[in-house]
Amino acid sequence: MSNDADEKPYSGDPANPDESIRFEQVSKWFRRKGQLVHALSRVSLEVGSGEFVSFIGPSGCGKSTLLRLAGGLLEPDLGSISIRGETPQVAKSLKHYGFVPQQPALLPWRTVRKNVSLLGELNQRRSHTTGISPDDQLQLLHDIGLGPFVDSLPAELSGGMQQRVSIARAFALGAPVMLMDEPFSALDEITRADMRYLLLDLWRRVGSTVLFVTHSIPEAVVLSDRVVVLGARPGRVIRIIDVPLVRPRHEAVEDGDDYHHIVSEVRAALKEGSEDQ
Amino acid sequence: MTELNTEEVADSQVLEEPPPEPRRPLYRALLAVAPFLGLTFFFVGWELYVRISDIRPLTLPLPSDILRHIIDNPGFYWRNGLVTVQEAFWGFWLAFIVAITVATIMAYSRFMERATMPIIVLIQSTPVAVLVPIFIIWFGFSSWPKIITAALFAWIPFVANAVTGLRAVDPDSHELLQSIDASNWEIYWRLRVPHSLPYMFSAARICIGLALVGAVVGEFFNSKEGLGNAARVAQSRLLIDQLWGSVFVLAFIGVAFVLLLTAVERRVLRWHSSQMLG
Repeated sequence: MSNDADEKPYSGDPANPDESIRFEQVSKWFRRKGQLVHALSRVSLEVGSGEFVSFIGPSGCGKSTLLRLAGGLLEPDLGSISIRGETPQVAKSLKHYGFVPQQPALLPWRTVRKNVSLLGELNQRRSHTTGISPDDQLQLLHDIGLGPFVDSLPAELSGGMQQRVSIARAFALGAPVMLMDEPFSALDEITRADMRYLLLDLWRRVGSTVLFVTHSIPEAVVLSDRVVVLGARPGRVIRIIDVPLVRPRHEAVEDGDDYHHIVSEVRAALKEGSEDQ
Repeated sequence: MTELNTEEVADSQVLEEPPPEPRRPLYRALLAVAPFLGLTFFFVGWELYVRISDIRPLTLPLPSDILRHIIDNPGFYWRNGLVTVQEAFWGFWLAFIVAITVATIMAYSRFMERATMPIIVLIQSTPVAVLVPIFIIWFGFSSWPKIITAALFAWIPFVANAVTGLRAVDPDSHELLQSIDASNWEIYWRLRVPHSLPYMFSAARICIGLALVGAVVGEFFNSKEGLGNAARVAQSRLLIDQLWGSVFVLAFIGVAFVLLLTAVERRVLRWHSSQMLG
């Protein structure tokens, strides 16, 4: 596979070189209306602890499927996935995942504060993870500009505000692995640009591993340590592109030549993927 | 040009104030009394129609005569109304509990849904009234045949809405709860049940009336008391005032309970879009 040649083993943060997530020869098929669809073909990837990795590709490249496989919401047909040395099912039961779906998916009958504390309240069987303390949750909401809205109902917030709550909810769990499925795709461009740096700020403080699915090349480059470019039919890794931009990153990063260079590299890889078909 | 500019500067220096809160107390008051206005309109229309067209009281009495008759016999209607309300009340809750149980099973299993559906349709298309004598054979001359009849009238809207409410949860929310391995029990109580509440309230609105009608139908067959009995006796002895009086009292009870339900709904469903406008 083409990804084997391009893939560099993650060198990682020297203080914490542990591998966090490993996909090994993962394949997945779906049956849609009697038709067998090859969603993912032999995907192999290692993600280091605390690394921010984006998945980008055309629709049907299986990037959301990859995220759901990592989260134990789907099972691979072939190959294996390990999350900090455990299977995704075990990691799930230990509440190792902070999931940010495409829609904010807030429970409309709970206030902002109670939506953020929700995941801590559930599944107390195995893990006693209740997330960060209620005071820290409140602080988190203040930090991301939701202070005046902690007792509001979701319907009283704008789409951008709701998505902020959704991200706060994931971070409030204090989970080591974040799974984000195009969380900004429904937002307008201005809000979207703000959210990138808000997310980076939160991530820098928590230091969790992030798998981030997106349609946007600038978003992938601004956020990530590495960008995984996927091709469609069957979904597969085309290239893995390093993003050696200095951190912490701010808006100014988007003015630099390095940034533009990497953006064109990702664009070229996407094109390469679509020409392969 | 220059004049215009200075004007603009002057304008911007005036302290900017938001427009005053629109105050429409009259409209708010109107909204509050709208149900009573509707009823008044209905009865005044009826009264005028009967008076103008000179219909015989046997055909259609004056609503004012019926009301006077009720006011003259408060004990009679209170006693019988209470009996019917009790039967309808227990029938309503019996229907609710059975429906929630059945709907939960149906919402969790496509197989059970398909297997249960014909039975529900079977029960639904059975003329329940015809079965009341059978219930009397089964349960004797107690309140049970009436409670069962009330429940059978009321449970179908509950089942239908509960299945939709329990099942049609937001897939993203569902996946979110799965991502932390929430148990089925947690997903049921924290996601499905709250989500089904608006559906249950709109079913309850219909079921209040159905349970009352069911209780009255039950009383029609064998009873010594209740509004159904009062109406049956009135029918056989041509007591037109009492027949209409029973119907009126029943209708008032229905309206009162629906208003009570609406008040509860307004509190419980504060978060739901149905409660956010107006």
